[in-house]
Amino acid sequence: MFLAAFSPKESDEVSRDATLLQRLLRRDVNAFEEIYVRHSRIVYSLVLRILRQGSTAEEVVQDVFLQLWRNSSHYDAHRGPFIPWLLTLARNRALDQLRLKGERQRRREDQTEELPQIAAAAPEYERALDEKRRAERVRSLMSSLPAAQKKAIELAYFEGLSHSEIAATLNEPLGTVKSWIRNGLLRLKESLQASS
Amino acid sequence: MSNHDQFRELIQGYALGALDAQERSELESHLASGCDECSKALDEGRWLVSQLAYLAPGAEPSELLKGRLLQTVRAEARPGATSRRTVRGSAVPWWMWAGVAALLLFSVYSAWNVRRLHNEIGTLREQAETQKKERAKLEQEITAAKIQAHEAMIWSDPKSVKIKMPAKDPNMPQLEAMWHPEMGIVVRGWKMPSLREKRVLQLWLIPKKAGGKPMPSMTFWPDAHGTFTAMVENPPDAMSDTQALAITEEPVGGSAQPTSTPMWVGGVS
Repeated sequence: MFLAAFSPKESDEVSRDATLLQRLLRRDVNAFEEIYVRHSRIVYSLVLRILRQGSTAEEVVQDVFLQLWRNSSHYDAHRGPFIPWLLTLARNRALDQLRLKGERQRRREDQTEELPQIAAAAPEYERALDEKRRAERVRSLMSSLPAAQKKAIELAYFEGLSHSEIAATLNEPLGTVKSWIRNGLLRLKESLQASS
Repeated sequence: MSNHDQFRELIQGYALGALDAQERSELESHLASGCDECSKALDEGRWLVSQLAYLAPGAEPSELLKGRLLQTVRAEARPGATSRRTVRGSAVPWWMWAGVAALLLFSVYSAWNVRRLHNEIGTLREQAETQKKERAKLEQEITAAKIQAHEAMIWSDPKSVKIKMPAKDPNMPQLEAMWHPEMGIVVRGWKMPSLREKRVLQLWLIPKKAGGKPMPSMTFWPDAHGTFTAMVENPPDAMSDTQALAITEEPVGGSAQPTSTPMWVGGVS
């Protein structure tokens, strides 16, 4: 059913990643280079946003791609799309680095050393948008949110803060913060669905 | 918290990693119980959360990072490559590490080279010192041979005048001298007693001129066998102006005028 929603270009993109990852399992350096060229920009942008320091961000990006090279078998293409998996891995690494630097004392007790567990089945609307359009949709939706709600989501995602820490940071009730984050993500989902 | 809907409300927060410890523990227990609906919601929530990465301002990693990564990956991809090179410290580009490595190698080589040169210089110095000693020894031998030859010539030349120098002390041996008008004076002695410490023998020329002071000449001393040969190539005065030769005991270095009574005296005829 969702295959009908694939644009030819998007289908090619997903297929290309899958092909490259198969080659990566065979220790194909050229495949690794192509994956890096295709995805290093978004990975670096995310890590740099979290760490705010170029040299440290490059170290983390380096770790992420080396982990991909060395443990590519840990990624199961049948369980979900590659890019979200890679982004989750990069975010976890960056937040770990943030904690190591002592900028945050709170410990995230989940997913610290494990590879990320990404959707067993990607939502259909994920496949209907290419990366560029999806990025535009995400930014557009977040821009439409009230500033405090957007800030709460950013603190959780980019700073790794818990609900309680965000409530304390924004000086807002805990329940309000939880609702902001939950509703914000639901609106993001609706927005992406509508675009597809 | 006990019903399914309440757990569903925690899914997004869990996917973000924003739940506090107690809520997280409770949701994980619920997921572990096998709730398919919540598991699917969590999958979707994780995917949604990953899309927040697109909020980050776009930035490009450096080309150096790509170069380092590919260098590491290529090294690990080679057949037989078992070790994983860690390439942390990415603030420093690979070519700078290569430069540092080259500098280190150069420093080690330089240190080794300096040490080698130092050793070579030491060896050359030792060789030069040895050669210098050998040359000095050779020069001494040549000089000794020349002196011996000179002495022999003086001693055997018909122009030489033999001078007997009896000792004042009858227990002391008699010395002999030979004076050649051009080649100089040779004095010889045998069975000589040892001299006192820091004392030497000194030859004097006693002038014929009335009131003339003794002319100081060379100092010498007998060897361990009580033998000596002393030669004066350029006597301070001519044979015709000299009345006698005398030998006294003087301090080491000799004296300008005799400080003791002559032990041997021989008239020049």
